[in-house]
Amino acid sequence: MALAAPGGDHSIWALFMQAGWVVKLVMIGLLAASVWTWAIIVDKLLSYARMRASLSRFEEVFWSGQSLEDLYRSLSERKTTGMGSIFVAAMREWKKSFEKGVKSPLSLQTRIDKAMDLALTREMERLEARLGFLASVGSAAPFIGLFGTVIGIMTSFQAIAGSGATNLAVVAPGIAEALLATALGLLAAIPATIAYNKLASDAGKIGLRMEGFADEFSAILSRQIDEKVVTRAAA
Amino acid sequence: MKAGLTTSLVLHTVVLGFGLFTLSSPRPMEVADVESFPVDIVPMAEFAQSVQGEREAPAAERPAPTPTTRTDVVDDAERVGDNTVDTTAPPTPDPRPRPVETAEAPPPAPTPPTPAPEPEPEPEPQAEPERPEPVPTTEVAPEPRPQQEVAPDPVPETEVAEAPQEQESVSLPTSAPAPQSRPQPPQAQTARTPERREPERQTEQRQQATASDRESENLEDQVAALLNRDRASGGGAQRSNEQAALGGRETTGAQLTQSERDAIIAQLRSCWNVPVGAESSSDLQTTVRFRLDPSGTLEGSPVIEKASGNRQFDESTTRAIRICSQRGFQLPSDKYNTWSEVVVNFDPRDMF
Repeated sequence: MALAAPGGDHSIWALFMQAGWVVKLVMIGLLAASVWTWAIIVDKLLSYARMRASLSRFEEVFWSGQSLEDLYRSLSERKTTGMGSIFVAAMREWKKSFEKGVKSPLSLQTRIDKAMDLALTREMERLEARLGFLASVGSAAPFIGLFGTVIGIMTSFQAIAGSGATNLAVVAPGIAEALLATALGLLAAIPATIAYNKLASDAGKIGLRMEGFADEFSAILSRQIDEKVVTRAAA
Repeated sequence: MKAGLTTSLVLHTVVLGFGLFTLSSPRPMEVADVESFPVDIVPMAEFAQSVQGEREAPAAERPAPTPTTRTDVVDDAERVGDNTVDTTAPPTPDPRPRPVETAEAPPPAPTPPTPAPEPEPEPEPQAEPERPEPVPTTEVAPEPRPQQEVAPDPVPETEVAEAPQEQESVSLPTSAPAPQSRPQPPQAQTARTPERREPERQTEQRQQATASDRESENLEDQVAALLNRDRASGGGAQRSNEQAALGGRETTGAQLTQSERDAIIAQLRSCWNVPVGAESSSDLQTTVRFRLDPSGTLEGSPVIEKASGNRQFDESTTRAIRICSQRGFQLPSDKYNTWSEVVVNFDPRDMF
C-alpha cells in the first residue's frame, strides 16, 4: 500500500478510495448494514402504525355489539392480521366443535385457548421479525468498524515502516482513512440500537394488547360454552 | 418491506451525497510557520570548541586565539593570523625563533651589473674615423637611457673621457656627454623594492574587491600561504591581542547539536556487535576517544579512556568504531572542527 501524499485531497471519497481492500470491504459491509437497518426501521414503523390502527378498528367493531357470527363471516373471507386473526382462529375452532356436537366443554375451552395462543404467537413472530438484525447491527457494527480501523492503521504503519518517514503528515492520512471505518460502524450502530429499543417496546405493547383481547375473548367464549352446556343439559 | 428498503436507499443516497459535498476536505489546519529550534544547555568547554580560539590553551570565559604580532588592521578579516590576506590555510607554526627582520632586511649589496657598459663603447670607435666633430654629440644623445636602467657607474665616464683623448686631432667633445651620462645612484639600488611593494598594493585592491573576487583569489592565496614558510604566512588577517584561550581553529557558528551527537551514536550502534550477555549488564561501560578526518574515516586508532574491565567488551567497542569508519561517519562537514575528535561512552543500556 502506498502512502497518501500529505496535503492531498482528504475528502471522504478520497479517503475511501485510498483504503486497502479489507478496509474497503468492511466499509461497504457497514454501509449495506446501515441501508438494511434503515429499511427495517422504516418498514417496522409503518407496519406497527398500521397494526395499531387495525387493532383499534377491530376493537371498535368487536365491542359495537355486532353479532360474532356476522363478524366471523365477514372476517374469514379476507386476510386478517392482529386481533382479527386471533378472533378468526378461535371462532373457527368453536364452530368446528359445535357443528359436530361437543362432548366435553372443558376440552373445547382448552382447544380454543390453544388456537388463540397459536395465532397470537404467529402474530408476535411477524411483529418481531427482523428486529434481531437491528440488535446484531447495534452491538456488532462498532466492532466491525474497529476491525477495519485496526487493519487500516496496521497497513498504514507497515507502509510507514517501509518508507522510513516518521512525519505526522505521512502518518495522518492513513489513520484518518482507517478511522472512517469506525465512523461508519458507529453510523450504522447508533440508529440500529435506538430503533431496536423503541421497536421492541412497541412490539411488546402491541403483543400485550392482543394478549389482553385473547384473554377477554377466551372468557366470553367460555361463558358461551357454559351457557350452551346448561341449555343442552336443560333440554 | 419494499417501501422501507426504497426509503432507506433514498435516505442513504441523499445523506452520502450531501456528506461527500459538504464534508469534502476539511480546511487545512493553520499552523504558524514557526521553525522549532532545539535548545541545548552547553557546557563552557563545548561552547569554546565552536568559537575561534586555541586548541591547547586553557579554557577561559572568552575563547581567544594566539595574539598576533602585526598591528595593521585588515578590513572584514575573519580568521586570526598575521597574514595580509584572509586565507583558510592554518597559520604556519614557528619552528624556531627567527629574527623577523631577516625577511624585510635589505639584501646584501647588489652585484654591479656588468653587461651594461659593453655595448656602449662599440658605436664610438666606429664613429670616430668617419665623422668629424658633430658625430659625438649626436651619438651621445641616445646613450643616457640605457645608462639610467643599468647603472653603469663610473665606467662610461672613463670611456667617454678616453674617447676624446684618442680623438685629440679632431676636437674635444667635453661639454655634451658629461652631464647626461651621470648615473643616478638611488634608482640603481632599487632592485628589490618592486617585490616588496607588490603585496601591499594587492591587498589594497583586495580590500576594495567584491566578495566573489576574493573567493576566486582565495585559493591562490591559500596555496601561496601554504608554500610560504615565513612567519607571517597562513592563517587569516584578523588581529588579536587577547590571551589565548580554548577554542576551535575557526568559528563554525554552532557546536554539534544533540541530534548530531545522536547520529554518531546511531551509526555506532549499527556497527556494534555487543558480546553475548553484555546487553543487559549494568556495569559494563567503556569510554573511547577517537579522531576523525574530514571524510569521516578514522584517523589513528581509537583510544580507550575508561575501560570496562572486560577486555572482550572493550575490543568490541573499538571494533565498532573501525567498522563504522570503513563506511565513513555521516556528519556535517562544515562542523568538522567539532567532530574531529569524538568521545563516545559505550553503554549497552543507553545505546539499545
